[in-house]
Amino acid sequence: MIPAALPGRFGRGWRAAARVLALALASLPGLGVLAAAAPLQPPPPDVDAARIAARLEDVFRGQTSYLDATMIVHSPRLPAPRRVRFQAWDDRPHKRSFIRILEPPKDRGMAFLKIQPNLWNYIPRVERTVRIPPSMMLQSWMGSDFTNDDLVRDSSQLEDYDHRLLGIDPRPEGAPEKQAWVIEYRPHEDAPVVWGRIVAWVEIERSAPLREDFYDERGERLRTLRFSDIRMVQGHPYPHRWAMRPLDKPGHETVIEIHEVRFDESFDDSLFTQRHLRLGR
Amino acid sequence: MGLEWRLAWRNIWRNSRRTALTLAATVFAVFLVVVFVAMAAGLHGKMIEDTVRVHSGHVQISGVGYLENRTLEQFLRLSPPVVQVLDSVPHLVAWAPRVVAFGLLSKESSTQGVALLGVDPKREPQVSTLSQRLVRGAFLPEGTQRGIVLGERLARNLGADPGDVLLLYSVAWTTEMAYELFTVTGVMRLPEPALDRKLAVLSLSDAQSFFVYGDRISEVAIRARNADDVPLLEKELARRLAASSPVPVEVHGWQEVMPELRQLIFLDDAGMYIMLAILVIVVAFGILNTLLMSVLERRRELGVLLALGLRPASLFRLVYLESLMLAAVGLAIGLALALPAVLLLQGHPIPLGGDVEAAARVFGMEPVVTFRLKPLNPLGSMATVFSVAALAAWLPARKASRARPVDALRGL
Repeated sequence: MIPAALPGRFGRGWRAAARVLALALASLPGLGVLAAAAPLQPPPPDVDAARIAARLEDVFRGQTSYLDATMIVHSPRLPAPRRVRFQAWDDRPHKRSFIRILEPPKDRGMAFLKIQPNLWNYIPRVERTVRIPPSMMLQSWMGSDFTNDDLVRDSSQLEDYDHRLLGIDPRPEGAPEKQAWVIEYRPHEDAPVVWGRIVAWVEIERSAPLREDFYDERGERLRTLRFSDIRMVQGHPYPHRWAMRPLDKPGHETVIEIHEVRFDESFDDSLFTQRHLRLGR
Repeated sequence: MGLEWRLAWRNIWRNSRRTALTLAATVFAVFLVVVFVAMAAGLHGKMIEDTVRVHSGHVQISGVGYLENRTLEQFLRLSPPVVQVLDSVPHLVAWAPRVVAFGLLSKESSTQGVALLGVDPKREPQVSTLSQRLVRGAFLPEGTQRGIVLGERLARNLGADPGDVLLLYSVAWTTEMAYELFTVTGVMRLPEPALDRKLAVLSLSDAQSFFVYGDRISEVAIRARNADDVPLLEKELARRLAASSPVPVEVHGWQEVMPELRQLIFLDDAGMYIMLAILVIVVAFGILNTLLMSVLERRRELGVLLALGLRPASLFRLVYLESLMLAAVGLAIGLALALPAVLLLQGHPIPLGGDVEAAARVFGMEPVVTFRLKPLNPLGSMATVFSVAALAAWLPARKASRARPVDALRGL
């Protein structure tokens, strides 16, 4: 769950600072996304970006959600893609979630419990629970291109960000026949957020997520998450395939394929406990 | 020509008190320059040696792009041709292979991010002083399976002691989760606080199997005879490895591995040279003053010389010679005093006491002031003092040679 990439060595602050400076000079923020995307149509004046973001969150997560999914990690280091099967319970109102690993056999029973802002990982093979410090939230989850922060993503996408409508993409990538809102998320000044900004494409017709670009605080795009295979589930236009591609690691990509998703079931409190963490079901 | 020399020499000593004072200033300046530069060289040499010996080594060999990224992605292998280069290159005292990676160490409820250093327990002590910095326990004793040595602050933050079992947790080279229990074998006190808080040392083979890293390594740390050999060693290694290593590698001297140390030394040097420059300028004005006074005092005499047919160019040379002689005598006495002093101090470092000693210990430095005389030091002092004397003599010499005999004789 640690990096493939942690900057600097042994906490040499100044080198990191120099890199920040160099990158800040190299990539003036703001230019990147607009240059990369197709020309956007100006947004209508009466549209509220925050409401689009809120609706997107409802579509994607409901009040609660249960997932059964397989994560497929592609890497040039691997002779064949690595598959991780897991179940996830997300309780949005209580800001808590739980994940259980089913496969591979080596990691079976491993579990993650997030009760904001804490994250614990139980490892059955050594019978230990690790509390993952907040500083590690940007590190890889299960060795994939998703981060700890992604898997226990909480409502902060609504609370900690300002939303702005950049425009309408007439032919969004992956769904050229649909139109999409392009929304920019910018974190509040002192929000405990890891990204400098996020740009999201949201299908206008159904409020389905299409794509998210993640930028660091220097304005450099680090990774792109693409959603596809959108199917209606309990009234939610839900993407059944998520593909995360880190831009600094060529050849690496992690895909999550959703086998089953159920919304708005009520979860028992006992699900989100340290005790349950250790019950390798 | 011989006449000019004799004249100049006599002229200097005509006002012996003024000359003695100027000489004293020159001697003082030369002495200070030589001693200070030797002290800085000694201090910086010691800083470099002490710092590179903590863990980095004088020179490092690594995979391409390692210094910028420092991830498992950049690696090299100790293939036979590489080993042969390491074993045969001159100026190399010892080398040690390492795996460098990041991980989490967890004990019950406390978790710390750590910098992991996988070392060869046999080779590492020849390159770094890590194994000598133990305050408790042992440094990866032979036959230990999955032992780990922690920095003292790291151990304190984790609440771990030798014998405790910790969970090490990271991502393997193969992108899968890596987790394994390790037993703390020792705790070491490291001079650099950031290192002391973060560093955990394990054996190279444990690191390679933990990260499913095969026979890959992150770097080879190399100890040279001393820091002066580094540029040569660096160049030679780069040349030989380019020819023999099957994968491209990079060779970096300590200046690149620890740029902050290089900058610290640069800053320190800059401060010292500014101070010495001020000193030298003061001396220059002393020489200028002495010569100008003596030229003004000798107006009549110089006028007579000119009237008798001495050419202005000869007069210019005469005054110039006076200045250079003053400088040469000052330099000779200065060096005669400074060189034995520095050579003596070189063999007998001055121990520091009190607060300074405590401060030095905190930074892991031996609390002594060491001196080191490099050949460039007396040569540089000579060149500086001579050029300053030459510059300072220009104005009086010109004044003397431009005098009109009639005006000078009239005493105007």
